[in-house]
Amino acid sequence: MKLNRKQQPEFKNIENINIPVPEKINLDNGIKTYIINAGTQEIIKIDIIFNAGSWYQEKPLIATIVNEMLIEGTKSLTSQQIAEKLDYYGAFIHPNPTKDFGNITLYTLKKYLPETIKILDDIIKNPIFPENELKTFLSKRKQQFQIELEKVTNIARREFNEQLFGENHPYGKKTKLKDYDLVNRKDVIQFHKRLYHSENCKIILSGKIDDSDIKLLNQYLGSKDWSIKTEAKSLNFDITYQPKMESFVEKENVTQSAIRLGKIIINKAHPDYHKLNVVNTILGGYFGSRLMKTIREEKGYTYGISSVLVSLKHAGYLVILSEVGANVAKNAITDVITEIKKLREEQVSQKELDLVKNYMLGDLLRSFDGPFEISASFINIIDLGLDTNYYDKAIEAIRTITPNEIILIANKYLQEDTLIKTIAGKYN
Amino acid sequence: MIKFEKFTLKNGLTVIVHHDPSTTLVAFNVLYNVGARDENSEKTGFAHLFEHLMFEGSINIPSYDKPLQLAGGENNAFTTNDITNYYITLPKENIETAFWLESDRMSGLDFSEQKLEIQKNVVIEEFNQRYLNQPYGDTSLLLKPLAYKVHPYRWPTIGKEISHIKNASLDDVKDFFNHHYAPNNAILSIAGNVTTNEIEQLAEKWFGPIGKQKIAKRNIPEEPKQNESRTQTVERNVPFDAIYKAFHMSSKMEKEYYVTDLISDVLSNGKSSRLYQNLVKNKKLFSDINAYITGDIDAGLFIVTGKLMNHVKMEDAEKAINEELNQITTNNIDDYEIEKVKNKFESVYQFGQLSALNKAMDLAYHELLGDAGRINHEVEKYRSVTKKEIITVASSIFREKNSSTLYYLSKK
Repeated sequence: MKLNRKQQPEFKNIENINIPVPEKINLDNGIKTYIINAGTQEIIKIDIIFNAGSWYQEKPLIATIVNEMLIEGTKSLTSQQIAEKLDYYGAFIHPNPTKDFGNITLYTLKKYLPETIKILDDIIKNPIFPENELKTFLSKRKQQFQIELEKVTNIARREFNEQLFGENHPYGKKTKLKDYDLVNRKDVIQFHKRLYHSENCKIILSGKIDDSDIKLLNQYLGSKDWSIKTEAKSLNFDITYQPKMESFVEKENVTQSAIRLGKIIINKAHPDYHKLNVVNTILGGYFGSRLMKTIREEKGYTYGISSVLVSLKHAGYLVILSEVGANVAKNAITDVITEIKKLREEQVSQKELDLVKNYMLGDLLRSFDGPFEISASFINIIDLGLDTNYYDKAIEAIRTITPNEIILIANKYLQEDTLIKTIAGKYN
Repeated sequence: MIKFEKFTLKNGLTVIVHHDPSTTLVAFNVLYNVGARDENSEKTGFAHLFEHLMFEGSINIPSYDKPLQLAGGENNAFTTNDITNYYITLPKENIETAFWLESDRMSGLDFSEQKLEIQKNVVIEEFNQRYLNQPYGDTSLLLKPLAYKVHPYRWPTIGKEISHIKNASLDDVKDFFNHHYAPNNAILSIAGNVTTNEIEQLAEKWFGPIGKQKIAKRNIPEEPKQNESRTQTVERNVPFDAIYKAFHMSSKMEKEYYVTDLISDVLSNGKSSRLYQNLVKNKKLFSDINAYITGDIDAGLFIVTGKLMNHVKMEDAEKAINEELNQITTNNIDDYEIEKVKNKFESVYQFGQLSALNKAMDLAYHELLGDAGRINHEVEKYRSVTKKEIITVASSIFREKNSSTLYYLSKK
């Protein structure tokens, strides 16, 4: 039989996506803990998520400093001793401060968990933020910050967030260079005391887990000696800001400009979100998206462009972002707007929709392929306090959405004149 | 231990199969034995530009991405000095789509002037985004030609300059394909819940009919031994001074390679490493410092990079780096430190085996180096490095006459 190379071999639509539901337990002190037992390697990851992002800080930088400096010294170990031990066991502790949370992640070989969890426990409960370490940290960070500010993509991000949320809102506020000189160690210690305690966190344990690992976790982080019995006071901020619909930050001598377009939009907690996510994927959520096709593959304006839905705890936003040739920034923005208009006005073909659906289902398979992928997929769901059946609903929405619904959703959420535009670099 | 089976088709295509029943996806990796080192010095950036063209449709299939996405797949590729590597992950039951797509683009591409023009623009924007429009982004464009005078490692994979990409012609591109893209110059590696039997049948069906090509024998000039210290100073619009030092080291095929890799770990892997503890934390000379090896197949580079703290003089910064390097050559290293970096290597190796895609890529790469089975001896090779070897190798590398230094100054 002659091989027909023109014809795609028969393929199956993805029918079953096995979404493991994390097992939920409470440690002895009440910390909600999610357990994901999967994978083939003798490896463990522990994520601890504190409600301690920059949302909760009263002065600039404090939330980040606390999160990143936990490893810089405790009552019993110096910064160097902590680093030595972790490196010796081939373990990693990654701080990850965000707007809403202070996350700490430990990656460790299972056989060294007894040693490494002890360090994790110590840095969370007993950090001392030594004065000299703080000084070094700040002067180093101040320089790195200045370097980051040279990048058009960062200039655009800062301006865009400020326009979205306003300069006084924790999601919109820009860090300034002088902030690095005004940090007070007392505020750092106080922030840790106020927010890094057992009533203010969740834990996700993933990898090859058995009872002895859970027992160890309970023995350390499940202990009752780090409770302060107060909930973090939930601050509220209103977004009352009137944004400039278009803002431009000039930077000399650039070959590319960074562009961002977007708006405040629903987050994962909203029932329309799953469908909006399909619309966003068509627009700019995968390599074959309309924005990639037009702005990269037809016009050659950029190396890449994407459209992202960001779900924060207290808000969500859409951002379309790219770095484009400095002399075509205007054209690129016009093309983005045209693509959005098309989504609102013209029905997507069944062929394109089928492709996007299959791609998204395949992507979900990838998001659950392996213990750390599973935990990464659940972390945001758990953070937002959503039910673990979130992904079942996502699959349902992907499978059932119709071309008509796409037009409806696009018209409801993506009116072009509601988009804020930010350009950094050149714009003419 | 990563178990695998290997067979070769009549046309020379090597196929490696790793059975991993823990995943519902399959990783499909095609490595072509061609990289930036195979480029003409007047037509650099070609291997990478070509990688882009591989996604622009092949003889029988107008779009590469669409059918793959329709089958729930995802793909990407990268180009290095030595190889061009294409990879796919997709649901296991749709694996035949990967065979169909990869075999068609191995047999021929649907070239056109228009597609070439567009991808030239895309690559030029990539050049801008990654190298020219970033603070300190042009470093590798400066440091490589300082360290290499003859060997093609003297240019980065993106190319020497934008004009080389602008001037690429359709004939150049076709020529490149004919010389390098062929079954006998490629390794296919598959990891997932598959059997060797089914892969053999599919490989025979889709890749079997593709003809063997004549692949020109590689004729890469060897870099002559460097015998003088080289320096270059540039001024740029960046906030702080930086220093970049490159030393010639061994090729990947020599024992020294592993020794050198561990030396770079002692100096700069992790927060407990020497450069970070001594020069960032204690002496506060740098805001950032790093030592690493380039990892190339031919003789590569050991590179130290550092961004200076604002008040620090370049000569003090450089002196401090040299002192740290000398510490190792003068036997000031203890067994605990060596044990620590070996442990860390082993741990990172274990984490790497979590993903089927990583395993497929690593198997193909080790096969290129001579035998996929090397992958299972990596840990013991690192474990077997002795303190004496570390001192000997460090002494042979960290010599002033073997160094190229780039002083990257802030135009204030």
